[in-house]
Amino acid sequence: MSSSFLYTRRRITNALALTLSMFATLIGLIFLAWILWETLRQGIGALDVKLFTKITAYGEDGGLLNAMVGSLIINFIGIALATPIGVLAGAWLAEYANRTRLGESIRFLNDILLSAPSIVLGLFVYTIIVLPTTALTSGNTTFSGLAGGVALALIALPVIVRTTDEMLRLVPSTLREASLSLGIPQWKLTTQILMRSARSGIITGVLLALARISGETAPLLFTAFGNNYLTFNPMDKMSSLPQMIYQYANDPGEGLHAIAWAGAFVITMFVLLLSLASRLVLSRNKVSHD
Amino acid sequence: MQANVGAVSTAIAQEARSHRDARHDRLFGWLLKACALLVLACLLGAAGATLWGGRHAFGAFGWHFLISDAWDPSSDTFGALVPVYGTIATSLIALLIAVPVSFGIALYLSEVAPPWLRTPVASAIELLAGIPSIIYGMWGLFIFAPFFADHIKPWLTNYLGNKPDDGKLSWVAEHVPFVGSLFGSDYPFGASVLTAGIVLAVMIIPFISSVMREVFQTVPTRLKESAYALGSSTWEVSWDIVLPYTRSAVIGGIFLGLGRALGETMAVTFVLGNAMKLSPSILDPGASIASTIANQFSEAAGLQKSTLMALAFLLFVVTFIVLLIARWMLRQLAHKEGR
Amino acid sequence: MTESAAAGIHPQSAATPTPIAPTKLKVRDLHFYYNGFHALKGINMDIPEKKVTAIIGPSGCGKSTLLRIFNRIYAIYPKLEAKGEIVLDDENILDSGYSMNRLRSKVGMVFQKPVPFPMTIFENVAYGIRHHEKLSRADMDIRVEQALRSAALWDEVKDKLKQNALGLSGGQQQRLCIARGIALKPEVLLLDEPTSALDPIATGRIEQLVEELKSEYTIVIVTHNMQQAARCSDLTAFMYLGELIEFDRTEQIFTKPTKKQTEDYITGRFG
Repeated sequence: MSSSFLYTRRRITNALALTLSMFATLIGLIFLAWILWETLRQGIGALDVKLFTKITAYGEDGGLLNAMVGSLIINFIGIALATPIGVLAGAWLAEYANRTRLGESIRFLNDILLSAPSIVLGLFVYTIIVLPTTALTSGNTTFSGLAGGVALALIALPVIVRTTDEMLRLVPSTLREASLSLGIPQWKLTTQILMRSARSGIITGVLLALARISGETAPLLFTAFGNNYLTFNPMDKMSSLPQMIYQYANDPGEGLHAIAWAGAFVITMFVLLLSLASRLVLSRNKVSHD
Repeated sequence: MQANVGAVSTAIAQEARSHRDARHDRLFGWLLKACALLVLACLLGAAGATLWGGRHAFGAFGWHFLISDAWDPSSDTFGALVPVYGTIATSLIALLIAVPVSFGIALYLSEVAPPWLRTPVASAIELLAGIPSIIYGMWGLFIFAPFFADHIKPWLTNYLGNKPDDGKLSWVAEHVPFVGSLFGSDYPFGASVLTAGIVLAVMIIPFISSVMREVFQTVPTRLKESAYALGSSTWEVSWDIVLPYTRSAVIGGIFLGLGRALGETMAVTFVLGNAMKLSPSILDPGASIASTIANQFSEAAGLQKSTLMALAFLLFVVTFIVLLIARWMLRQLAHKEGR
Repeated sequence: MTESAAAGIHPQSAATPTPIAPTKLKVRDLHFYYNGFHALKGINMDIPEKKVTAIIGPSGCGKSTLLRIFNRIYAIYPKLEAKGEIVLDDENILDSGYSMNRLRSKVGMVFQKPVPFPMTIFENVAYGIRHHEKLSRADMDIRVEQALRSAALWDEVKDKLKQNALGLSGGQQQRLCIARGIALKPEVLLLDEPTSALDPIATGRIEQLVEELKSEYTIVIVTHNMQQAARCSDLTAFMYLGELIEFDRTEQIFTKPTKKQTEDYITGRFG
């Protein structure tokens, strides 16, 4: 009697828990669909040619040209700075410092930097770049696209370090032994053989880093600042898509909201395409070593 | 003799090449090490820069800074309590929602769902993690906050809060301590601590659930199979075998999500309302450290700027500790795995 | 017992089997430690020039470890230590003054699994040469062709030298690795279970190749496969638990082993 009661209760608990787990998954998917759907609906509704041809100085009658160009330049600076440094640092972790105490500590701290608040990194760059240049130019606050790029580089760096480190450690050690037994020095082995072997993995890391930084807003607010006019000069104040979206969304004007949605749509598509591309690159890599 | 001379000169050339290679290797090693040390420099630099920038605020307010809820730029009086409270409250609400949901998702994807469904659903959830936070902010501001104000908030204020529309307190508000003031609000808009917490929860769910799913998959099959062989149900295996086995990594995943939530700026700034005022109600607007900095830094000067830097330092130190715990906990399981 | 005593095998050192050729590598009292574990215990052996010497023994006996000391490839890992002497052409290669470049150009190595570099077939062979010698374009072509011919691979790849080496079959990849090794014109060639990842046909080709290469190179081959040792080696060393138990002409080892352990292993009683 009591054992059958116990059995029934266990069965009900199980069914309930599993149903709830399904609901939890549904909740996650509903929010995903909701966010993507609104971004698509509002964004596509506001898509217009002037978005890509006019600058933000015209307000509701303008577009986002300067912000898009700014985003491209700032992201490019960020990736161009972070890629070589990140790849070399990752190579050090995997090839030179694997299993050493300092190497383990830096790998650990890199993981922390990976999720450190981006706004604080923005303030760091503000302190080391914007403030000194301001002092040099007798008090005119010198926000610049370059400072924005450096801030984004700090965010991209740990992503690239980590993927490079992981991808290099996946390269079989026999490849190292084979090269060294031909008398090839470590630096050639690292740059010409191991990195070539892990190339697609490293590219994936760079693409992921790009996806990560192209939506970053907070650190740009006090580094690149913003600019309603088109500029290609990295020493100038520069606007970016996320910063413009932030500004427009906080504005009472309905027309600006529409432009902000269009910008949000562009960024979302860009980021989703990047993560898709990085997956493709990685899956193609699977053939080289078994 | 001739051959001997040839051999000796080859040996000398090889010797020279060896030395050159060794020198290049050393230089290359230093270059790599310098790059790796930059990671360290970033962390130290970020802490140092904000501490240095906040030195005036720390000097002017001392320890009182942490417990003061003042925020008055006109008289240069600032306290950290409002943004600190807002940061902690939104993050805790986010965790309260995200942890059970993430556990459910991880459980469903590793034990319950039919195998053909697992990869696509997992990729979809991970897609959530890739969406930039500014998009969450937009969605929160224009879609979710109005929805919240129209459909969720009235229900909460009327049935749980101490400031209902018709003036009649509900039984819960009257008899259960704290609940009334927690849900009492006469602020008419959707921006609030709770809204920010919910948006943050949606943001960190993919992080926590993917860590959980990953660590659940590390549980040895024989362990689960022997439990199933004893007649345990799926739920019992998950709760009694899988969860205890992966406990430290699960806690690590939760702390990872917490670290994200504490430092998140954009999504929060849009839906928190930016009120520098302490309110007992989670349905009232508030401010977080990150949102305060994002909103005020560009226009701030003097002591206010220093205060914002000081807040950034606090945020950095707290997230650093949280993430340290997270990574350490995650590492425990990796060691158990022998990885 | 009597025969090998006559051949001069000392029960402990087992260093000198019937001298069939001048000694190329002289191993004296070699000890090896990793993380404090005593992996090789006083090895003495004389490896003759331009012969094939096989090292056999159960897994974990130290045969691969011994091979990996001959070109000091072990030195890339921390906490490994070799003590003793390995004399190559009158010089001790374990001496810290002995340059790696010199050693690695004199002693080539081929590994268990074929590990082509992620480059074209041509580059795979040329890459190592380029590090040691400056050659003109035409000389390099000749050198690469020679190496590929010596490795019996030329006819199969001569039309696709510009293709990625990862596209070759396992057996071809392994012969490419041999070509890569002999392109540096080493004097000693170390083969670490070179056929363990290959099918029987590819294995046959490699064994045939070893037979051809011994006219020019001193070859040391570690193998799991006793038939392989019997088929293609002139001398065979049997190792067990980090010690060299017996070292003699191959037919001697396989027909009249003097040690009980050797006999047990060869007749399949353990291993």
